[in-house]
Amino acid sequence: MTWLPYAVAAWLFAAGLYGLASSRNLIHLVGCLSVCQSATYVLLLGLGYRWGSIAPIFYDHPPGTPAVDPVMQALVLTDIVVGATLTALLLVLTVQIFKRSGTLDPEHLKPMRRKGDTR
Amino acid sequence: MTPRLRLTLLGAALAALLPGTAAVIGRLPEFGATIATYGERINAIVPKERHVANMVSAINFDLRGLDTLGEEFMLLAAITGTVVLLRGRRGEDMTDRAMRLPGRAILPRSEAVVLTCRLAGPLLMLFGLYIVVHATVTPGGGFQGGVILASGTLLAYLGEGYSGWRDVVRSHWLDAMEGGGALLFALCGLAPMLVGAAFMQNVLPFGTFRDLYSGGLMLIENLGVALAVCGGFTQLFLEFLEETREADGPDEPGEDTA
Amino acid sequence: MSVILPLLFLLTAASGTAVVLIRDPARQIFAIAGNGIVLAILFTALQAPDVALSEIAVGAAAVPLLFLVALMAVRAGKVEQASDEGREP
Repeated sequence: MTWLPYAVAAWLFAAGLYGLASSRNLIHLVGCLSVCQSATYVLLLGLGYRWGSIAPIFYDHPPGTPAVDPVMQALVLTDIVVGATLTALLLVLTVQIFKRSGTLDPEHLKPMRRKGDTR
Repeated sequence: MTPRLRLTLLGAALAALLPGTAAVIGRLPEFGATIATYGERINAIVPKERHVANMVSAINFDLRGLDTLGEEFMLLAAITGTVVLLRGRRGEDMTDRAMRLPGRAILPRSEAVVLTCRLAGPLLMLFGLYIVVHATVTPGGGFQGGVILASGTLLAYLGEGYSGWRDVVRSHWLDAMEGGGALLFALCGLAPMLVGAAFMQNVLPFGTFRDLYSGGLMLIENLGVALAVCGGFTQLFLEFLEETREADGPDEPGEDTA
Repeated sequence: MSVILPLLFLLTAASGTAVVLIRDPARQIFAIAGNGIVLAILFTALQAPDVALSEIAVGAAAVPLLFLVALMAVRAGKVEQASDEGREP
């Protein structure tokens, strides 16, 4: 149990990498990238947790009650914003690639191909 | 590079990293045993120093406000990139008919869906506003409330269709909100320097603990972030949904369709 | 709490694996939304309500919509392509 969150983060990252390497559709690839990002959320919040503590909001509990780490939560908030904007930009690039080359398969998009080569 | 070779290389790389990962996981602190000293000090002194109850908001807007400034401008840059990429290709026409694919039936919108969207939409906007305003006393803040407000406009799309949504959401307002929010946040950093304090130092009176008005300059920064995030995300949705409208001209300027 | 947290971590691992293993983009959208909700539940159990709020709003409302509209644009482009190729010869 003590190493479970870190192992889950490593597993999620490895699964995301496998999805990135073996994807046949660019939109599926962007989804796998979001799995890689969720691995970082799990790792950060796992590092900031303490048994028997409250959330770092001292509205109902008096200040001084043991609370979890608020710095990790601020980091994960920024991380989520970055993830959302990254996904949006990548999807825009995917749509542009499709309009320009007519395919969404990474295997068929080879930029260094000579003109006239068939796939 | 064939797919099989690529997957073999990935497997070899992961196998090479595995002993290092296992060693690191073994050395990390036990899950749930203790938190870092920085977090402990913040929990101990910030309620008395800044009179706020939400530690995460205090970190985002006061203690590490510079990071949030960078994050807001990153959001602005990414959305500008999206607008340039999509609008540059599509042009700035204002038709409001959704595109129709040949051969697919158009199902009429169900009345239950329309009624639910009309009831839930204003309630959701009110809830988003509540989350924005109570940044320093309850969980929430500018970013969370801004995204809830932006997704509230999506209920208008679901209930009224593309033309109804286009009527409600105007691009000029969103540009003003997004840029204005980021500008407000930057001014919150520069204004304390006019009275002789440091950049983004909290110079307003701190208010009462557990009250709506607490935290001083944090409330203005919170408003700036909420405006920027709400405008930015709605602009993102607008640009994406515009891709689904009916094309009424050639795609590239100067190109003629057959 | 000491029983719920390991189960939630395992559920997160399963949901992330499901997102990767579902190859059809139209079905993967549901997996992404489900992953967002599971992550939000995990964050609530880890005493992080601010983060859970953002994850619900972003991961279950904003990101699946972006994926859906990208798929719409690609599908419409495919139909245009097919009609163009049919017209050429």
